[in-house]
Amino acid sequence: MSRSMRSITAALAALLLVSGCNSAATSGGSDRAGGEGAVRGVTEDSVKVGGIVSMTTSTGYSKKDTDLGARARFERANAEGGVGGRKIEYLGAEDDGQDPSKNLAAARKLVQQDKVFAIAPMSSTTFSGADFLQQQKVPTFGWGTLPSFCGPSYIYGFGGCMVPTPGGTISQTWPEGLKKVTGGSEGRSVAILANDSDAGTFAIRTYKQSFASAGYEVTYAEPAVPAGSVPSDWSAYTKEILRSDGGKAPDAVVSVMQTPYNIGLFTAIKRTGYKGVLTDPTDYDPALLAKDATRKALDGVHVLTSFQPFEQDSADMRQFREDIRKAAGKDVPLNMHMMTGYMSADLFLAIAGKAGEDLTVESFQKAANGFSDTGTMVGDRAEPKGQKESFGCGALVRLKDGKYVVSAPFTCYPPIPFK
Amino acid sequence: MSDLLGFVLSGLVSGALYALLATGLVLSYSASGLFNFAHGATAYLCALAFYELHSGLGWPAVPTALLLVCGVAPLLGWGLDRLMFRKLARVGETAQIVATIGLLVALPALGLWIVELLQDAGAPVRPAENQFGLPGVGPSPAVSWQPVDGVGVDSDQLITWVVTAVVAVGLWVLMRHTPLGLRLRAAVDNRSLVELRGMSADRLSSVAWMLSSGLAGLAGVLATPLLGLSAHDFTLFLFVSATAAVLGRFASVPLAFAGGLGLGVLQNLVAGYASFAERITGFRTAVPFLILFAGLLVLTRRQRTAGTAAVDAPPVDHLAGRSWRRRWGPWTVAAVLLAVAFYTVTTPFWSGVLAQGLAISLVFVSFTVVTGLGAMVSLAQATFVTGAALVAGLLMSHGWPFAGAAMVGTCAAALLGALAALPALRLGGRSLALATLALAFLADQVLFQTGWLRNGDTGWAIPRPVLGPVDLSDDRAMGVAMVVLVTAVVAALSALRDSPSGRAMLAVRSAPAAAMASGVSVVRTKLTLFTLSAGLAGFGGVMYASYSTRITATDFTAVTGLVWLAVVVAAGVRRPQYAVVAGLVFAVVPHLMADYVTESAHLPVILFGLAGLALANDPDGYCAALPTRLHRRRARITADAPERSTPQGAPTPGAALELRGVRAGYDGAPVLHGVDLAVHRGEILALLGPNGAGKSTTCRVAAGLLAPLSGQVYAAGRDTTREGAVARSRAGVLLAPEGRGIFPSLTIDENLALRLRAKGDRDAVYERFPSLAARRGVTAGSLSGGEQQMLALAPLLQRPPGVLIADEPSLGLAPRVTDEVFRLLVELRDAGTALLLVEEKAAEVLEVADTVAYLAQGRVAWCGPRAEVEADRMTEAYLGIGAGGRTGAQGPDAPGDQGHRPQEVPQS
Repeated sequence: MSRSMRSITAALAALLLVSGCNSAATSGGSDRAGGEGAVRGVTEDSVKVGGIVSMTTSTGYSKKDTDLGARARFERANAEGGVGGRKIEYLGAEDDGQDPSKNLAAARKLVQQDKVFAIAPMSSTTFSGADFLQQQKVPTFGWGTLPSFCGPSYIYGFGGCMVPTPGGTISQTWPEGLKKVTGGSEGRSVAILANDSDAGTFAIRTYKQSFASAGYEVTYAEPAVPAGSVPSDWSAYTKEILRSDGGKAPDAVVSVMQTPYNIGLFTAIKRTGYKGVLTDPTDYDPALLAKDATRKALDGVHVLTSFQPFEQDSADMRQFREDIRKAAGKDVPLNMHMMTGYMSADLFLAIAGKAGEDLTVESFQKAANGFSDTGTMVGDRAEPKGQKESFGCGALVRLKDGKYVVSAPFTCYPPIPFK
Repeated sequence: MSDLLGFVLSGLVSGALYALLATGLVLSYSASGLFNFAHGATAYLCALAFYELHSGLGWPAVPTALLLVCGVAPLLGWGLDRLMFRKLARVGETAQIVATIGLLVALPALGLWIVELLQDAGAPVRPAENQFGLPGVGPSPAVSWQPVDGVGVDSDQLITWVVTAVVAVGLWVLMRHTPLGLRLRAAVDNRSLVELRGMSADRLSSVAWMLSSGLAGLAGVLATPLLGLSAHDFTLFLFVSATAAVLGRFASVPLAFAGGLGLGVLQNLVAGYASFAERITGFRTAVPFLILFAGLLVLTRRQRTAGTAAVDAPPVDHLAGRSWRRRWGPWTVAAVLLAVAFYTVTTPFWSGVLAQGLAISLVFVSFTVVTGLGAMVSLAQATFVTGAALVAGLLMSHGWPFAGAAMVGTCAAALLGALAALPALRLGGRSLALATLALAFLADQVLFQTGWLRNGDTGWAIPRPVLGPVDLSDDRAMGVAMVVLVTAVVAALSALRDSPSGRAMLAVRSAPAAAMASGVSVVRTKLTLFTLSAGLAGFGGVMYASYSTRITATDFTAVTGLVWLAVVVAAGVRRPQYAVVAGLVFAVVPHLMADYVTESAHLPVILFGLAGLALANDPDGYCAALPTRLHRRRARITADAPERSTPQGAPTPGAALELRGVRAGYDGAPVLHGVDLAVHRGEILALLGPNGAGKSTTCRVAAGLLAPLSGQVYAAGRDTTREGAVARSRAGVLLAPEGRGIFPSLTIDENLALRLRAKGDRDAVYERFPSLAARRGVTAGSLSGGEQQMLALAPLLQRPPGVLIADEPSLGLAPRVTDEVFRLLVELRDAGTALLLVEEKAAEVLEVADTVAYLAQGRVAWCGPRAEVEADRMTEAYLGIGAGGRTGAQGPDAPGDQGHRPQEVPQS
């Protein structure tokens, strides 16, 4: 019996060897994207584009509307005659459910089965398809909050790479914007709070340097809040924070956490009678205004956005509203996921437009290299700079009396080196 | 000081929710003996329903909450009990754990799917995603007060406390002061005895599940403002509250309740004062799981040897002894076809999917080792996968070759496995599962948060290896390499299974005590299995990471491990090749579903969860079920034909209980070969016979605990063959089982109250038995053996049953007490009860018996009045030569011949 098994194993090993030689013979031609005259996903009059977005999740967090944003942008592009004479054939977004293996599977499906030229938008909490897309030379556009948006030559963040790397730079949008709220940073103190995880520790390290170099005195910076689930009790954290500035409260409390945490933290802090500035980077979502509890919890909070706030009037913003309304078929409340999808699509269109009529992966990459424009809703864009650092633009909006008002207008700031 | 007070007060909020969930866990566990991993999902479902009904449809808060907690949630519990849990209570622990894990993912998906459907139908429901700051039952936003300086309380907290206190009191009243509560507690104590007493344990189990679901629903509604609509958070919350259930040893509601409250406070205190651990990233996050793990280690009482599931009987291997070709031929052909397919038919996309499926099946095979061979449920396999891949990635980033890195990674995982196993192995079954789950969360939250190991969110690149001319970066080559690897692993594991050490492992699985007696070290065997499995999972993890070409610390979380286990067990965990099928199904089916069935992401998840339903019927998984069912059907066709022709005569007139031509046995092992017996009112029939003759089996058939294969059972002339123990008991046929027929955790008074509702009846018993009267508030378990037997018989004397079957009532009693017991039995007979008395103490029993029957080798060898009993005959019967020894001697007067003839029944 074991002899038969051994022979089977030997046969399989031989098979492997043969197949290996076979693959070695053919793998030289793996960059079929541009070869044989045909370009993947590009025909005479169309370009195929797909998206990857986490829509259904077990945590109740969804980026579903990213798809709508992208569709709105592509529909307008098509209405204006397409790009380089080609219409965009947008296949819609695959749902990766925040699952790494599904993310990779979605990338493989779009490339190998649907044969898309590019992926826009890609917005998820995980990006395990990145290596595959880079290897298959698929231009990909998305929200640059993951490390894969920093470095790989085919992957672009719509606002640049938003993950600072040691040796790179840190965007100063947040502290510089906050200066407009606190009336400068001279003699002002901030406390920074993050989740008790590696990501939280990294955020503390980043923003400690960022706020300090903007002139703030950082009196507290701890990744102290349990990351598993939202604490029911915040007194342990608020006490430490509110005594951090030599026994009294700091001028500003900076939270680097997600919405459910911020609701708990800010409610607890306000309950103590704190009168200083509260700020966080995640709660710019007009849907939060719909509920009394969130409206009250976040009232007065200054929220960082990395794009032009919906409240700031401009031609681009009016166009954005109009495009979204058309794509949705009705008036829908705007949110940042729509903006993410919209601007991911926009960056793709801008570069593809520069590549012109002869659209191949090579011509696209060539167009990207040295691409720049100014005054967009995410500020001044430039590639390949955007694959190393963020475009460095942002605004602060303040939730006041049930609506957001701009407290620090959308501006671009020079970054500082990250030590 | 006010800090401390604040921590304690607000700790009581999560404590109250833990208490509600833990109580529900204990109730459902005691009802069907299974740990409901889906308990948090039920809570989530109610939170979701509350949100949609209240905020979406605008229903008023309090009535909606009441409707959900008192109506919808119990209905869900009832439905699940009827569909799944009742059946699951009779299968092995692994299938139980896995079936509820299936529900854990299916129930939230079901809720979200319904919301999606309603939304499409135009109902004014709201999307369930990205919802924060949800209103609870109270005002929103919550009103807050500051009763003491520095201590804040808000209306949501207050509502949680008050409601929990009311529920606690309500539960206490229900359990301690109502007949229903008494029966529930009796069912917890001894489920089968409850059935013998004519109470339907199934119905009690339904009640317990309804209560349990209602409590989960209540926790869900109360937790809505705190947890929002994150199914993930609800599940985490549940795992933490499992600590409290452990504290209550899965049996005591008050302990679990108190444990839940204490847990909330403890957790808050640690979070508040844990500044000593600031340097360890993730420590504060991990506090609940540290408590869970410590709680399991400290509190779990050692009942059985580690991880053994006693009811986990292996299925009959109908291919045993067949040729190698018959056993392995189909698998070999499938492997070769798959390998060939990579280079012939599959598109690049499907090549990738298949390669992925094969890579994950390497991980899945590790379950075959730990769960299939070792009968231990490990929920930490994802941790070993992540650990090995991270280590391998770290080394490769330092220039190590693939093979070396993979080997070190595998060893690291094996080491991790051994470290995890050492403290956990002394735990059994569900405690081991929970402990490994706690370890998995600890690893996620502390170990894998270590910066140098995880390399931030970037993780490590694990390029695919190049072996000489074979470059695995081609998916087809990767696929074939995986086929070879998987084949090698499956072959190695099968060889291990058939080797002496494999047999030792299987021995430890099925009978640890016996294995120990044969010189097999149980602990060493289990440790070996756990380590081997962890190493295998690690190796699979490195291969899987090399398929994805990267590993990050968040790729495989503890919850991923739960889903994997469910996928593998659904396919079958006893053979490694089934795990390969599971891996391929896991990779391929979602794509097929998306392409051909539905675009909805929820439906596949729901279907996957329903695999739990299938497990309730085929606990060994679908791979094993198919051939087993075919085989069983074939066997039935050949075996059934002659049995159906058993003649069905009319019952003997006047017999209170009659067995006619009863054949019965256990799962293919026949015990009774046609037993005929009849007992009449006011008669004691003593059934004598040697060990193994089938006396207890006869009792079980007579009481309805075991359905006969053929033959009839009549109670007072009515055919009750197909009725179970409950109906039989209600028809007046009672069994006093071997050992003591009492509920040890209930007091004397409660034991009596189960049969004697009226206080007057109980007082009469106390008059008759003053020794019981003096201690009526004492738990029955603390009585002496004789007193316990008195307690079992006393209520029967007060209200004599039609038939009493007493299985060795004198077992383990002193002679004087035995006399007393027999005196009571005679008293019962005089009251008109028909008694079937099974005894080994033949001399004593002959003094009270009216009729005597000898049972030998599953047949009644002789039956007649006591006066005709001869000592020789009895000796022969006891030596087991009464029936079988004489079948050859066909003399007309040979006593053994009686066994083949209709029984001589003295007509009274």
